Amino acid sequence: MSHKSKKVHNDFKFIQSSGGIEEYKFKPNGLTVLVLEDHSAPVATLMVTYHVGSRNEAIGHTGSTHLLEHLMFKGSQNFNKEKGNAIWNELQNIGAQINATTWNDRTNYFEVVPSEHLERAIAIEADRMRFAFLRDEDRQPEMTVVRNEFERGENSPFDVLDKNIWATAYQAHPYHHSTIGWRSDIENVPTEKLQAFYNTYYWPNNATVTVIGDFEKVEAMSLVKKYFGKHPHSSKNIPEMYTEEPKQEGPRRIAVKRVGQTGVVGVGHKTPEGLHKDSYTLQLLGKILADGKTSRFNKNIIDKGLATSILMYDFPFRDNGMFISYIFLTPGTQHQTVEDVVLKEYENIINNGVTTEERRRAVAQTRAGVAFSRDGSFAVASALNEAIAIGDWTYYTTYMDQIEKTSNEDIKRVAEKYLIEDNSTTGWFIPKNNEAAQDAA
Amino acid sequence: MQLSKQVVVGSPTEGITTLIMPTTVKDVITFAGSFLGGALYSPKTNRKIAPITAAMLDKGTQLKSKYEISNLLEDVGAEVNFSATQHHVQFTGFCLKENLTIVIQLLGEQLRSPAFSSKELATLKTRTIGMLDQSKEDTKKQALIGFLRNLYPEYHPNYRTTIEEAIKQTKKVSKKEIKSFHEKHYGLSQFNFAAVGDVNPTLMNDLLEDQFNGWENKNITTKNLILRAHPSKEMEQEIHIADKTSLDMYLGQPIGIDREHEDYYALMMGIYILGGNFSARLMQTVRDNQGLTYGIGSSLAGTSFGSDGYWSTWGTFAPNLLETGKKATTDQIENWYKKGVTSDELKAKKTTMTGSYQVGMDSTGGIVAQLLSNAERGRSVEHLDQYPEIIKGISLDHVNRAIKQYIDPKKLTLVTAGSFN
Repeated sequence: MSHKSKKVHNDFKFIQSSGGIEEYKFKPNGLTVLVLEDHSAPVATLMVTYHVGSRNEAIGHTGSTHLLEHLMFKGSQNFNKEKGNAIWNELQNIGAQINATTWNDRTNYFEVVPSEHLERAIAIEADRMRFAFLRDEDRQPEMTVVRNEFERGENSPFDVLDKNIWATAYQAHPYHHSTIGWRSDIENVPTEKLQAFYNTYYWPNNATVTVIGDFEKVEAMSLVKKYFGKHPHSSKNIPEMYTEEPKQEGPRRIAVKRVGQTGVVGVGHKTPEGLHKDSYTLQLLGKILADGKTSRFNKNIIDKGLATSILMYDFPFRDNGMFISYIFLTPGTQHQTVEDVVLKEYENIINNGVTTEERRRAVAQTRAGVAFSRDGSFAVASALNEAIAIGDWTYYTTYMDQIEKTSNEDIKRVAEKYLIEDNSTTGWFIPKNNEAAQDAA
Repeated sequence: MQLSKQVVVGSPTEGITTLIMPTTVKDVITFAGSFLGGALYSPKTNRKIAPITAAMLDKGTQLKSKYEISNLLEDVGAEVNFSATQHHVQFTGFCLKENLTIVIQLLGEQLRSPAFSSKELATLKTRTIGMLDQSKEDTKKQALIGFLRNLYPEYHPNYRTTIEEAIKQTKKVSKKEIKSFHEKHYGLSQFNFAAVGDVNPTLMNDLLEDQFNGWENKNITTKNLILRAHPSKEMEQEIHIADKTSLDMYLGQPIGIDREHEDYYALMMGIYILGGNFSARLMQTVRDNQGLTYGIGSSLAGTSFGSDGYWSTWGTFAPNLLETGKKATTDQIENWYKKGVTSDELKAKKTTMTGSYQVGMDSTGGIVAQLLSNAERGRSVEHLDQYPEIIKGISLDHVNRAIKQYIDPKKLTLVTAGSFN
């Protein structure tokens, strides 16, 4: 029987297709499956995205989603050290690129494998979806590993300032805390809490399995059925996170003072949820302001010698986000000078808008970025992962259409709406005098 | 996947070797290239001249201002970046297929006729100094600089200047010096160019011929390396950086051989088994079992172009776990040295390496990087196809002999940077 004549099993219900990617629902347990064949290289990527992230945490167990992600590598019923087939060994021994990440809205586990080994990756991911050990004796050493990850982040002035700005801008919504969590929560969260978290959220009906690359679709889907099909639908509904951030009614400011070398200015403004139509427009505005050598900030800050670099982001999240510009100052530059330049540029756009040339350039940059997000099975799976996280995987395949529709007037309108003082949170990293630094003993 | 059967090797003009690989990816092309003229070719008094010359290439040409260049590239979403490694001037870029002509024309103009404006140089120097200042508080970078300064003498390719020295050198760089460096070194000296993606090899070669035909070959040759590493000796150094919550540690020693040596792959395999990935010994013990670190690993480095390289283990520890972490790490190294590696470990890591090589072909960028670094070492494309066989051919006895011969756990250099308890 040729591949062409094979059909996807009846247990899979076809939902939709977009950009060559097909979505199916595995009817017995509600698992969503995204699949794209791409034979450019003898490689396949498997990614499992759980629809749970640090937005599902609360005081006392911040960082739990991430700590749980670490424990998921400590073994499951059929893949563990005792059996001699621990997850890392099983996958790295075949040359797989393997890891997992946690963020605000999702947790993803992935394997990029030589395509002949796709089944092994599927078997492992399916096993730990419901049969992970999550033992207290594993949590103890892993807690210090994660705490060291936290400590490494705290080494960076940018990381510290970013955490402080989010914690100041978001007071009620769980985006208040960063995904790594607060140190005391990392240290003290009980194993039972992590197990409960797992048993609440790690179910096929709260996950999307994405398979991209060099395989035959029907065969890959029968492997998904063979392994993930063992799990039932959750017996309880997956809880919804319902906390909304109250309206901000005035500018907020923070400062972080530590021994250091370089001042940093961060100017943030709250933005709408990722799937909101204004979100696309704000991302285009971000490019005009800070992407490339012709961007406004590059001309008015970098080229004037005021800063070494600029980092501007406006990640689309499931709930509200932040439009933040970080400026890393050159020696001797005052924080206020740079903050004034940033705010003046925002005011300029609010009053005068952007030029068509600027918008067209930002669209062209986006178009190239979208094309490169198709370069390799891992690139596609990663882009899909973020789209799944915000609530609609077709965000990835329809993104360019939305960007193309944006007008100059739209950009001016979103600047007027969001880049206003009462919606802002500004932070400065102020380096304290550092006599101990560079004191080699 | 036989790369050599898919790569079109060409020479559009004398002095340039091209490696072009069309793939089924749609619309996008990734490219990279290099020629001799990196940091080692700077005058001995100032190693910053080569990297700053490379960094000035996107700051304007004799025909176009910096902004005209940026407009051309950003209008089509393309990117071209320049940098200097120890040996080479390198460029990397990407563009959509329809914009290839614009991008390659610009690449030629930027390499051949940069403007070197005084104003742009002053701004670049200010930024560079600012970034160097920032790196003073980078615990990992500071530990590595300290480690390499203990291993190698000044002017060795693996030696690193201190941040303060680098700032002093940056301040001194003049327009006259970079113009002169460009005139003496930039040209078709071992010029390699790789491109992968939705690319037509004939068109690419024609474009390169148009741009680089007649560019002088400055007859730069690979540096003859006379300096050797210091003899291994047991020593420890602490670099104090205030207000840091995690320290970085490097320990290791020079190995005395380069990557062309017959023992190179056996030693590389031995070190990979010690700490090459998560399932290697160090991560499995110091992190996974003992929970002492977020990251730890070991590798061979500094072995290219005849350079006598070094092996090192890097790890990160909280100040209160540093001593326990150091002990756990050195225990593993001593055990590895004393007992060697097992045949099961060797078997597993062989499939890791050959599989990783296949996985590395997942994106155009991954393939371009492989093609260029292989060409820079003067190897044919066929060598890339032979790599998995070389790995499969490594014997257990050779690995364990290499560990005994090149590693001495009694003479390790250990440098830590951060805030100590």
